Amino acid sequence: MGLADFVAAVEQLAADGVAAFAEAADATSVEQARVGFLGAKQGRLKQVQQLLGGLSATEKPAAGRALNEAKERLQAALEQALARTEQQASTSVARAAVDLTLPGISRALGHRHPITQTIQRLIEIMGRMGFEVAEGPEVEDEWHNFEALNIPADHPARDPLDNFYLANAGGILRLLRSQTSTVQVRVMEMHEPPIRIISLGRVYRPDEADATHFPMFHQIEGLLVARGVTMANLKTTLNDFAKSYLGSEVPIRFRPSFFPFTEPSVEVDLHWQDRWMEFGGAGMVDPAVLAAVGYDPEVFSGFAFGLGVERLCMRRHGITDIRDLYSGDVRFLRQF
Amino acid sequence: MLVSWKWLKEYVEIPVSHQELAERLSLAGLNHESTQVTADDVVIDLEVTSNRGDCLSHIGVAREIATLFDQPLSLPEAEPAAKGPPVETVGSIANQMPDACPRYTARIVQGVRVGSSPAWLADRLRNLGVAVINNVVDITNYVMFECGQPLHAFDLGKLRGQQIIVRPARLNEPFQAIDHRTYSLQPSMCVIADRDRAVAIAGVMGGAETEVTEQTRDVLLEAAVFAPRSVRQTARALKLHSPSSHRFERRLDPHRVDWASRRACDLIVQLAGGTLADGVLATGSLPTQRAPITLRLEAIERLLGITIDPVAIERILNSLGCEREPSSSRNVSIWRTPSWRHDLEREVDLIEEVARVHGYDTIPADVPVPVISSRMRLEDELLEKLRGVLAAAGLDEAMTPSVVTAALDDLWSPWTKRDALQTEKALLEGSHYLRRSLVPSLLASRRANRTASQLDAELYEVARIYLPGDEPAALPSEPLTLGMVVGRPLLEVKGIVESLLRALHIDVPLLVEPDRTGIAHQLRLGAAVIGYFGQVSNQMVQQLKIDRQTVYAELTLGPLFAAARSVPQYRPVSPFPAMQRDLNLVMDESIPWASLAATIRSAAGQELTELQFREIYRDPQRDGAGRKRVLFSMQLQRPDRTLTGTAADQIATAVVNACEQAHGARLLAS
Repeated sequence: MGLADFVAAVEQLAADGVAAFAEAADATSVEQARVGFLGAKQGRLKQVQQLLGGLSATEKPAAGRALNEAKERLQAALEQALARTEQQASTSVARAAVDLTLPGISRALGHRHPITQTIQRLIEIMGRMGFEVAEGPEVEDEWHNFEALNIPADHPARDPLDNFYLANAGGILRLLRSQTSTVQVRVMEMHEPPIRIISLGRVYRPDEADATHFPMFHQIEGLLVARGVTMANLKTTLNDFAKSYLGSEVPIRFRPSFFPFTEPSVEVDLHWQDRWMEFGGAGMVDPAVLAAVGYDPEVFSGFAFGLGVERLCMRRHGITDIRDLYSGDVRFLRQF
Repeated sequence: MLVSWKWLKEYVEIPVSHQELAERLSLAGLNHESTQVTADDVVIDLEVTSNRGDCLSHIGVAREIATLFDQPLSLPEAEPAAKGPPVETVGSIANQMPDACPRYTARIVQGVRVGSSPAWLADRLRNLGVAVINNVVDITNYVMFECGQPLHAFDLGKLRGQQIIVRPARLNEPFQAIDHRTYSLQPSMCVIADRDRAVAIAGVMGGAETEVTEQTRDVLLEAAVFAPRSVRQTARALKLHSPSSHRFERRLDPHRVDWASRRACDLIVQLAGGTLADGVLATGSLPTQRAPITLRLEAIERLLGITIDPVAIERILNSLGCEREPSSSRNVSIWRTPSWRHDLEREVDLIEEVARVHGYDTIPADVPVPVISSRMRLEDELLEKLRGVLAAAGLDEAMTPSVVTAALDDLWSPWTKRDALQTEKALLEGSHYLRRSLVPSLLASRRANRTASQLDAELYEVARIYLPGDEPAALPSEPLTLGMVVGRPLLEVKGIVESLLRALHIDVPLLVEPDRTGIAHQLRLGAAVIGYFGQVSNQMVQQLKIDRQTVYAELTLGPLFAAARSVPQYRPVSPFPAMQRDLNLVMDESIPWASLAATIRSAAGQELTELQFREIYRDPQRDGAGRKRVLFSMQLQRPDRTLTGTAADQIATAVVNACEQAHGARLLAS
């Protein structure tokens, strides 16, 4: 075969192809024409291309140009045909085929527990104020749960009726922690001031389970110990925290209270939706607690506060029964 | 603590309305619970914290009011005339349990006429919700609500031997209280006895047999101090709580005992007649005065962040009953604290008094702590990634109680052979066992959901489990654990685990050690065990009535987090095209994918950038029994140049040969 024959074959092929694309009435016949002329394996263009090997080196450049030209014409014809048939399809067929008002097809997504969501929010807010998360064990000894927190041996808070003591601990008293202040003690034992942490996690107190009580719940406690920390710092921190959590300027107030590990101790109320609501407990770290972990109360002072996570969570989402949180019921979990 | 408005006004002028009073008291430490307006009085319910036993009385609350409104406090006289015989001639007391009863005193009034109380007295008690009994008993209650000191009146005629013995109860000693219920007492409990039997449980409740009735002629009036711990333990053990035990538990003013005794005797003589015997029967001694407390102005400022005028400080502390020592200066004052304030022991305690009376509203809320840098814990960051994957996989996060029943504890825990730790009290019905796995709790939740017609409950939980240590006294290890239950094939659960590992950019391959029982296939990263997964066993199905399709997995997050690459590093992408080669090999059923894959990888070498399992197909007629066809794809590529088709074919051939040699696999002719 000479160059002239080759070019003629190529042109014939291009003309046939363009005609075939032009005649194709729908997407299927366009595809048939595409396979027939442009198909990578058995297409006519491919077949003609294989003839290229039979030409001499001087003939090849011209033959290649002809081949490229034919290919471009076929491509253009294909695109035209595709555009044409697509337009036809969308004007005639699609309207009947797909009802776009039907529900979308989606994958079922799981849900984060509302307590997790609340904790994440609290961590995030406190994190911006420089508080880092600290954790400690849930099974505790008496030193961390009581003594170091200024709760001496005959204190009512140590009553077996008010705590989950472990059985058979080899004669040594162990218990499920009744507060996360245990973590604060552990952190202070390990580090020198300044300390700025929030401790959070599960705590345990024997309460009959009802709509507002559960023997297991979550606490978040903040602790800041440094030089020159005052009650004004405490009030400011809680004020900023309440504002961040609730999203608007919320006045807070202190009412005197009593906790063994803080002095002075206060209840914190916040003014929300036209009334004062309990927010949590707080106070200045008792000098006995500072001394118990080896800090000099004359040099360092600090504040601590504790909030019940469940209460914040339930208020936020309008949950009325605390037991729902621990039911594992997907009808509950999937709402959040 | 209920207080009567009219009653309070006997001791202090109240210059505000009862609403304002309640508000002011709340902000000073006596939290306002509620107010009830009666026909002729206002009764206010105040919450008294456990450190403020002194406020469990009208005088105590009146003293707070006097301090808050800068008013004088006036207390009634208590100086009854003692016209009777010396008290030692009509009765005696002995104290055999001074630890539980540091002080016991008694006065005797002879020849009383027991009858109804006058209206003013009866009304006051009724307003506080206290039952009205007779004039003598009512007086003891009245004085308790007046000054906080519990009192008890015995019918002296019924006290055998005319004597009082404070002693430990006998083993299982029966006792009928004035509530007419019978209690079985124990030697750890302190009782008031006569010669023969217990006549009162110390500090908790008197006995029915010796109570004062209309027939009573002579009255022995007890005024004592009982140790808080002893009273608390006894009241708890007997589940018998009274206004008296409530007060003793919170420590009383030892110096108020004698005043209360005299005050009650005075009222008895006035309202029930009779003659007061001369003197008082008493054992034990009064505690010595406590050491004075030094208060520095500078310390107040340092703690509160505000300055308070020393004159105001002095007024507040004086009004609360503290006395300033003459050696005080302006900046450093020295204070004696009153005997009713056991909570004032240190400088910081005085600072709290000053602060709360001065008002916490004077503390500003615009003094921020300095800004410091802080960061999220890596653990929380990674956990958030895992939660994202689990949400995408369609699992809902559950939280279930950490303490479970024996049956659940027994169900599944591959982590330890040691028995679970147990709590003495059950967390919930029958739940004593600190769980050693989250899976049983989640299986129970899945079952409960199915009972509620939620058939598709797929749950996960992130919590600690409790693995007992080497010795009983050691604290347990509490690894953070991720448990999940789903109703999908085993390999889909493994797929979720693989997705979790990918999210953490863990590039150590996941290894599986199959478990013959099928309930705990082990998952490892190299040598580190990261978890187990499995399908519910027959036992679980029977025990929990759970569906057989249930599959579970549990991962210990510590090793996972340790293997995580929290900041993935860029690896260059080859600019040269990749070739794909698909192979379909026939081999013995027993050959696991993992060994086949290892052979493929080692035969293909570095050019193999991705190996993908496609499917297994079985055709016993053509391939024979016990044979399977494994179809897989290899992506081949070089980072430095284009890999030619010929080179790719050579690699594929090498793979086929290696698989034939190692596993007897044969290439399926296409």
